[in-house]
Amino acid sequence: MGISTTTTPFLTRVKESEKDKFMQQAVAKAQDAQWDKREASRKELGHWQDWRKLGEQIRQHVIHYLPDYLEEFADNVEKRGGHVFFAQKDTDAVEYITKLAKEKQVQRVVKSKSMVTTEINLDKELLKIPGMKLMETDLAEFILQSDNWDEPTHIVFPTLHKNRDQIQKVFEKLGYDGDNDPTHMARFAREYLRRYFLQADMGITGCNFAIADSGLINLVTNEGNADLTMAIPKTQVVVMGMERLVPSLKEAEVLDNMLARSAVGQKLTSYCSFSGEQVTGESDGPEDLHVIILDNGRSKALGTPFESILQCIRCGACLNVCPVYRHIGGHGYGSIYPGPLGAVLSPILGGYDQFGDLPFASSLCGACTETCPVRIPLHRLLIKHREVMMDKLKMDKPTTREIMKTVGLGTGTPNLFQMALEFDHMATRMFVSKKPTTVQNLYNHEGHITWAPSIAKGWTDVRDAPRPPKHTENFRRWFQNFEESKEAVRHGK
Amino acid sequence: MASDNREEFLNNIAEKAGRPRHQLAEHPFIPLNDLPETTLADKTPAALFDLAKQNSQSIHVTFQTADTAGLADLLNQDIQEKEAKSLLLPTDDRLAEYGLTNWMAGVTPSPTYWEPTGGREENIQRAQNADVAVGCVDFLCAESGTITVATTPGQGRSFHFLPTHYIALVPKSRIVPRSRQAMDWYDEEIKAGRLHTSNINFITGPSNSGDIEMVLVVGVHGPIDMSYIVITDQ
Repeated sequence: MGISTTTTPFLTRVKESEKDKFMQQAVAKAQDAQWDKREASRKELGHWQDWRKLGEQIRQHVIHYLPDYLEEFADNVEKRGGHVFFAQKDTDAVEYITKLAKEKQVQRVVKSKSMVTTEINLDKELLKIPGMKLMETDLAEFILQSDNWDEPTHIVFPTLHKNRDQIQKVFEKLGYDGDNDPTHMARFAREYLRRYFLQADMGITGCNFAIADSGLINLVTNEGNADLTMAIPKTQVVVMGMERLVPSLKEAEVLDNMLARSAVGQKLTSYCSFSGEQVTGESDGPEDLHVIILDNGRSKALGTPFESILQCIRCGACLNVCPVYRHIGGHGYGSIYPGPLGAVLSPILGGYDQFGDLPFASSLCGACTETCPVRIPLHRLLIKHREVMMDKLKMDKPTTREIMKTVGLGTGTPNLFQMALEFDHMATRMFVSKKPTTVQNLYNHEGHITWAPSIAKGWTDVRDAPRPPKHTENFRRWFQNFEESKEAVRHGK
Repeated sequence: MASDNREEFLNNIAEKAGRPRHQLAEHPFIPLNDLPETTLADKTPAALFDLAKQNSQSIHVTFQTADTAGLADLLNQDIQEKEAKSLLLPTDDRLAEYGLTNWMAGVTPSPTYWEPTGGREENIQRAQNADVAVGCVDFLCAESGTITVATTPGQGRSFHFLPTHYIALVPKSRIVPRSRQAMDWYDEEIKAGRLHTSNINFITGPSNSGDIEMVLVVGVHGPIDMSYIVITDQ
């Protein structure tokens, strides 16, 4: 799949997403439910702001000394008998893994949920190997794979856009003959996938955190599929973004606690595992472990104002509070990394030509920044992207540039500005419809503007704009009168 | 298949970041607060027990207690309730410490063991066939109802994941405030060379998923239910 999930233009995607009422309701329900659970779990822990500072400090320290931590981690994996491969690009990682699979004559792969393997399009490349069977074992990813590799819509809840009837139909193609009860369908998936686990000769996982001082891999799940993926196959491949390290088991423990609370409102997920290559005497676990450390554009953020996005621990809390995500869902973003995190990260990894629209898909309300457990200033990074695109790369449309020049001239020239204030009320007469004042339509100056042309159309498509007041009633005139009346009181008039 | 481009990769990062390599030894990570250690650290053992019980039950765990004398009866009762036709036990000295030597010899169904020399396929198959597994775990974390266990030759990884029902045995003296105290112990044991393991599991209740319409389903890939038995005189 790669980072991009579609070739459809941004505004078309948004319109398509807006039509998907089930998805919108599902996202709204999920956001509201997660809000309650997340905030309650943070409150129960106590001192949440101090925990956030600790989380930020851990991640910043790792990013600051990233080459040193990577070196320490790689040394420790190798000391335990594992192999480490540094992949500059997605194709390097895929080439290494497919070569390994061919050399070992792997025929059955089980995978646990991993964003980074989606980023490098690993599944489809592995399936090109003749005779290869590959199974995503996370319940949601299994549903997506079984539905002709449908796109995920959320980094924590990938099938949020599907209802139980749709999932029942997907499972019926696999032989399921039960009803649409989620428990019955999950039990079917358990039985179906268990057979694959027991026959698998290669397991592929992502990595929540790599422990630098021990060479262990920390994985966090609720279903237990990652643990089976790490227990049963003789060969295990771990694919990790190069920034996903922590100094020691202690910091992994801190971040697992913060991740579980931020992602799903749990104190810890059902399974937090810290594992490496099998040691002497043990009978299961990987006899051959390969860790692929991937750059794939991440280093472009280093040493720039965007460096802090590498602190991200993929909890998805920023998606769960975002009003834009609430309306357009994951598919609207056109990236496997949606929401505020994706709007910052996708242009770094995939470039502005492909993802330049995303930093504008934000109301800049700052809810993402406020909820981020590792204090990434997400909405400020979105503004920074806009600055880079407009000021440095001059990527704005010529018409927008001309309009903004005119606005600049008007607001920078007192006579023109005064003239605009004199006539704006009258000039907007033809666009106005008269409606009663409501909570949504305050500031009623003889009607509201319900349709406007050009760049203002985006506003009036979704809400009315207040009509400018008459020049005798505008703020400047009001303030002038107010000051004069204060002066009059002071002089006893 | 060793990586021959490590230096190039790491130098590229250092160059992009504008920071030299090999600075970490002089700038080790020093946490800015001690919240992980101090949170709940003031609780008495009795308070921690109550907290462990409450938090275990809130994650769909059946929380039980027994002293050494009553442990065998409680296990028999649990195994009967599950209508178990197969039982898996670890090869672990702790079972004898908990007074279960005679019980192991006479329990029905007759147990199979995860054996240190039992072979990969054989041990995995035993776990796959087990209706019930009774595991020995290292700690119970009061805050989250988490049990923690390190993989050993006598109790492998799949032991905790493949069986349908899972019962964890944990001494009352091993109830700790939070996952931090358990992690501190593992960190120290590994670094001191006293613990040789490839895997540590922190397990917080039975497996579950909310992937279908956010409806909680308990029991997905791992055990479909879980009991903790706290041994009160250990």
